[in-house]
Amino acid sequence: MMRPIAIFTAVTKNWMRSRSGLFFSIMFPVLLLLVFGAIFGGVGGASKYGIFVQNLDRTADEAPTELSDAFIEALNSTETFAITTIPVDADARSYARDALGPLGGNIRILIIPEGFQDDLLNGTVKVRVGISYGTIVTMYEFIEPYLNETEKMAMQQGIAQMGQYNASLPERSASLTLILDPSDQSAAIVKSIVINIANAFNYQLIGAKSVINFAEEQVTVRQFRGIDFYIPGIIAAFIMTNGIIGVTTNTTEFKRRGIIKRLSVTPLAKIEWILGNVLSQTVLNLMLTAIIIVVGWLVFNVQAIPDIFSILLIFLGSVMFSGIGMVLSGLVKDVEAASAIGNAIAFPMMFLSGTYWPVEFMPAFLQSFARVLPLTYFSEGLRYAMIFKYSEGIFTNMAIVSALAAAFIILGALVTRWKEK
Amino acid sequence: MAKTVVEVSSLVKQYGSLRAVDGISFELYEGEVFAFLGPNGAGKTTTVEILEGIRPLTSGSAKVFGFDVTKGEDVKEIKRRIGVLTQDFSALDKLSVKENIDLIGGMYDKKLDTLEVIRLLDLEDKTKEKFESLSGGLKQRVGVAAALVNDPQLVFLDEPTTGLDPKARREVWSVIENLKKLGKTVFLTTHYMEEAQVLADRIAIINKGKIAVIGSPQDLISRYGGLKVLIVRKGGKKLAETLQNKYGGTTLNHGGDVFVKVDDVKEMWQALSTLTDMNIGKEIEIQTPTIEDVFLKVVGGRITEEGELK
Repeated sequence: MMRPIAIFTAVTKNWMRSRSGLFFSIMFPVLLLLVFGAIFGGVGGASKYGIFVQNLDRTADEAPTELSDAFIEALNSTETFAITTIPVDADARSYARDALGPLGGNIRILIIPEGFQDDLLNGTVKVRVGISYGTIVTMYEFIEPYLNETEKMAMQQGIAQMGQYNASLPERSASLTLILDPSDQSAAIVKSIVINIANAFNYQLIGAKSVINFAEEQVTVRQFRGIDFYIPGIIAAFIMTNGIIGVTTNTTEFKRRGIIKRLSVTPLAKIEWILGNVLSQTVLNLMLTAIIIVVGWLVFNVQAIPDIFSILLIFLGSVMFSGIGMVLSGLVKDVEAASAIGNAIAFPMMFLSGTYWPVEFMPAFLQSFARVLPLTYFSEGLRYAMIFKYSEGIFTNMAIVSALAAAFIILGALVTRWKEK
Repeated sequence: MAKTVVEVSSLVKQYGSLRAVDGISFELYEGEVFAFLGPNGAGKTTTVEILEGIRPLTSGSAKVFGFDVTKGEDVKEIKRRIGVLTQDFSALDKLSVKENIDLIGGMYDKKLDTLEVIRLLDLEDKTKEKFESLSGGLKQRVGVAAALVNDPQLVFLDEPTTGLDPKARREVWSVIENLKKLGKTVFLTTHYMEEAQVLADRIAIINKGKIAVIGSPQDLISRYGGLKVLIVRKGGKKLAETLQNKYGGTTLNHGGDVFVKVDDVKEMWQALSTLTDMNIGKEIEIQTPTIEDVFLKVVGGRITEEGELK
């Protein structure tokens, strides 16, 4: 066991003293975390969808009507929109374009038309009367067999008068105009939110209650933000690059410079060499994990806490990706080729394995491709272990990563040349 | 009689149609410095790597300390007992001299104290220096130190001075001379004639996978080195003609130097006596043959600084 420890000590020290090694293994992931966290992490104040609202529904003294004002307030209360008011006399599109300035942006305009409140009230009364009329007719059909002729006459007369009144009410409903840019990727979300608010308004005015209620629960016990999602993803992605790019280029460089040959003339066995390197990778990756979590905690107040399963997964991931690195370095001759092949494999894998966005966001054929990438299972397992605490997900992914780790390390040992030809 | 440390018999190493080592046989005795002298591609490193147990042989046999290089368990024993300076030795750049020697030392169950080895190689003031900051000569010394850390009985030094400047080369020679004083058996490969002649107790000249000749430097020189030469600087044409009449092999170069080839020591003294009697008042040099002359004779070419045969 002393020989793998000696290899581990030397390789780790050599890496720790290499500025480029430190940068790509630790600093680069930290920088990426800071950038991703700032842009997509949902921290530093949640970003809002900008929307212009022009309220043309005014009272005689030019004040907004009560219901149009209430609708705008409802939009505001979602805390989803940053609302800019367009004056009544302005052309909505020109005003919005001018307000966005030379850098542009997405034009989203909601126009509340004149008569919105009247139409809404009329529509509401008609709906309510219609509901009442229908209810009474149904009731009458139920109780008719129990009524005498006088009572029946009276009821029929009343129903007829109510029907006439209902028919006399005009068919009016309030309409809103939502102007959206087709190239706006958030258009569908904005439209959906506005429709939901309108529906809620409808229910409120007609006194209806939703008959389907959602018992919504978070998948996780705690409340998490986007940044918590990224942390395991970034850790997984860089454990992968440390293995596939780092081990491949380092081992090829050691091979080129005759360091491996020098070690092979000592009693060191090939498997001891591999074990020493895997140990070094594991320690490096645990350090990376710790630093990412600490930075995440200090800068973004993250709640990604590694447990024994996370640590076990990191070990297994280190073995798996070191194994892949060993396989590649056994197959290529020079450092340039090793670096090129390592990058060609690592970068697509980094972006297609659900580390930075869910696999489900990708087209179907890419989703199928993601399912054959080792990083998919590693990052998924790590996310389940660190964030979701979802046991079944942890164990399934851990089993797959273990099998792949064993396969790649055996393959790596087979292709690592410990003897000359 | 000295104990046999390495025994090689009819050793062959074939790569496709290329026969890198072609049926060579030789022995190495305890305490000697044995040099494999030959140009690049002669089969030196291949042979050494077969003996180190890291390259399989095609046919023949090779034993180190009586252990067979083709048997796995024997190879483990060989590796415990040998020290190796590989060709183009390199180490981990960011580690210090001591850390690199420690790394190699860490591969052995029994090893010398690293600082003792450092002292032996006169590297005390470089102990903490990173390998990447050392000069070529110092790097080779670190390589030799690493080769000695397991206190080996046999040390393989594969081209230890290739690429070094003359000063650094002589520093390494001094290290090798010290190894001999320590009683180590040294298997040296080189393409430098002078190196082999200065350091080796025995030399095997190898070319195209075959050993051309083998023996001590003196033996090889006397057998293949040819005649000694007396040179009379600026002797002139008249002297050349006089000496030609007495000693057949006399020549004159464009600078007026006279070259007199003599068969043995007796003839050399006679020639010197003749020149003394003539009272010529010219500078006289005695040129003795070297291993380079031997190489030229047995291989039919010279080796360039880069190790190529010309």
